[in-house]
Amino acid sequence: MSQSNQSLRRTLDRLFVPLTVGPTILWIAGIIVYPTLQLFWSSLFWTNPITGAKEFVGIENFVDLLFGDAGGWLGVLNPTFVNFTWNTIVYVGFSVTISFLLGLGIALLLNKDLAGRGWLRTAVIVPWILPYVMSGLMWRWMFQAQYGAINGVLVQSGLIDSKIAFLSDGTLAMMALIVADVWVFTPFIIIILLAGLQNVPEQLYDAAEVDGASRWSRFRNVTYPFLKPSILVALTIRIIFDIRALDLVWVMTQGGPGKATEVWASWLYRTAMVFQRSGEGAALGVVLLAVTFAIVAVLYKVFGETPYST
Amino acid sequence: MSTRTSYLDRIADGFGLDTDNEWPSVVRERLVAYGLLGVYVFVVWFPIYYILITSIQPTSEVLSLPINFIPQQPTIGNYVDIFANRPFELYTFNSLVVASTTTLICVTLGTVTGYTFSRHDFLGNKALLLSIVGARMIPPIALIVPFFSIMSSPPIIGGLTGSLYDTKIALILTYTFFNLPFAVWIMKNYFDGVPESLDEQAQVDGCSQWEGFVKIILPVAKPGIAATAILAFIFSWNEFVFALVLTSSEQAQTLPIAVSLFVADDFVDWAHLAAGGMIAALPGILFGLFFQRYIVSGLTQGAVKE
Repeated sequence: MSQSNQSLRRTLDRLFVPLTVGPTILWIAGIIVYPTLQLFWSSLFWTNPITGAKEFVGIENFVDLLFGDAGGWLGVLNPTFVNFTWNTIVYVGFSVTISFLLGLGIALLLNKDLAGRGWLRTAVIVPWILPYVMSGLMWRWMFQAQYGAINGVLVQSGLIDSKIAFLSDGTLAMMALIVADVWVFTPFIIIILLAGLQNVPEQLYDAAEVDGASRWSRFRNVTYPFLKPSILVALTIRIIFDIRALDLVWVMTQGGPGKATEVWASWLYRTAMVFQRSGEGAALGVVLLAVTFAIVAVLYKVFGETPYST
Repeated sequence: MSTRTSYLDRIADGFGLDTDNEWPSVVRERLVAYGLLGVYVFVVWFPIYYILITSIQPTSEVLSLPINFIPQQPTIGNYVDIFANRPFELYTFNSLVVASTTTLICVTLGTVTGYTFSRHDFLGNKALLLSIVGARMIPPIALIVPFFSIMSSPPIIGGLTGSLYDTKIALILTYTFFNLPFAVWIMKNYFDGVPESLDEQAQVDGCSQWEGFVKIILPVAKPGIAATAILAFIFSWNEFVFALVLTSSEQAQTLPIAVSLFVADDFVDWAHLAAGGMIAALPGILFGLFFQRYIVSGLTQGAVKE
């Protein structure tokens, strides 16, 4: 009895690695690798939106996506593609830049030895943990033309005379999206950069102070080198998350008014799910996948770091 | 001595203080820091306050002008209404089931796999870990087409009838897609920080690998497990896009979908939406207030650590 127990124990021990890693690998293969392969496969078909019938078309979906209705940029690219790509660049570019600078500032402030720092940190983290849908709807309510708080504050304090229909104007709607996005994701930047700031050795600041280094020079020469990996991570995750995130855009503007705030994520959802054109939606998905990996590669190249994480 | 005068010096002058002696630069810097942080905290919390007061006002008051930033007749009517008129108890139940099952799967698999990746060299371990990390970067929305088609078609494994579309199982399976690689990665980083002498001690004491893992390592890993669990729960609780694509009725729809359903084409029922939104936001607010430390450590383990 005890002998067979012994041998069972030894067998189980020998199988430790396969038994602990195997299930996860199989699970990931089933839930990620298989759907990803199917994405590439689906992108080669044209789907009839009414009957659902599929027809093999090779790379035609990609050609249409990039060059269809030629006459756009340089007379070559698909104007729809150029237009929505531009919207995405504006949305992601402004959101990430503003939230990064704001997050860096707040992280530097929170890194100071202040009383109540723990509470302040808790207070600034909350927006990131709320469901994005609820945050999106909350901001839609804030920007609402008649009863929204922003118009309320502006009018009731006498700053403007007549209310502004923020979400009915293309440019203002894009600005509203960016405000909501910055509100939601700045905490993430703060958390990552605060962790990075803890790597900066205190003595280096003292030394810099003795040398009479200016505030900027201290940041540039002491803080920045230690913070660089965290900056890289924060930017990478922020950018790839913003390109693919649908929640805020969908509930705040649905890509409107017109197509003023249509970004890649909402375009993909509209193509695949609303218009039921799954082949074209899959092609868009493949492009999104490629762009994501390209951005990560470029960021690591620019920062001259070996992949630290992600 | 500086000849420049800042606005703080001017304020100090206003109080008749001798700035050179009575406003040491440390105090001055702190006041500026508190001021700026105060403004930021106000901006962060104002929208949450606004949706909270919207949720406790009757519709007539919500749609009255000028806007009252302090509710005149607070009421819990909206909360009562949404449970009475819509299946909010089902939405809440679905959210709880989906988020906790996903969390359980991801934490269990993530913990054991993370441990092995941290401690064992085996054939292809680097390549496997890299694939898992790479899987984290695949944009979920890019996969809505395959997920929709997989969940809508009859299952490959026999014995089940019908498709997984509009079931909680579909959501649970899908949510492990972004949470499992994340859990493996956090736990691997966490175990990297646990001294290997603990493992050796367990072996000296005659524990098998499994016993050592369960009795010695797991108890030490509790904070890492807590961080992973909290983040996996929040991510699953908040998820919207796949719930939108893969569900169509209250047997599987979760709270984020329920909240979005308050938006009709031309009309939004703001008072009730705010109440639903507060219910969906509750776990986030509570976790944020009470488990901030775990959220921060989990996120930084998952992002920054090598």
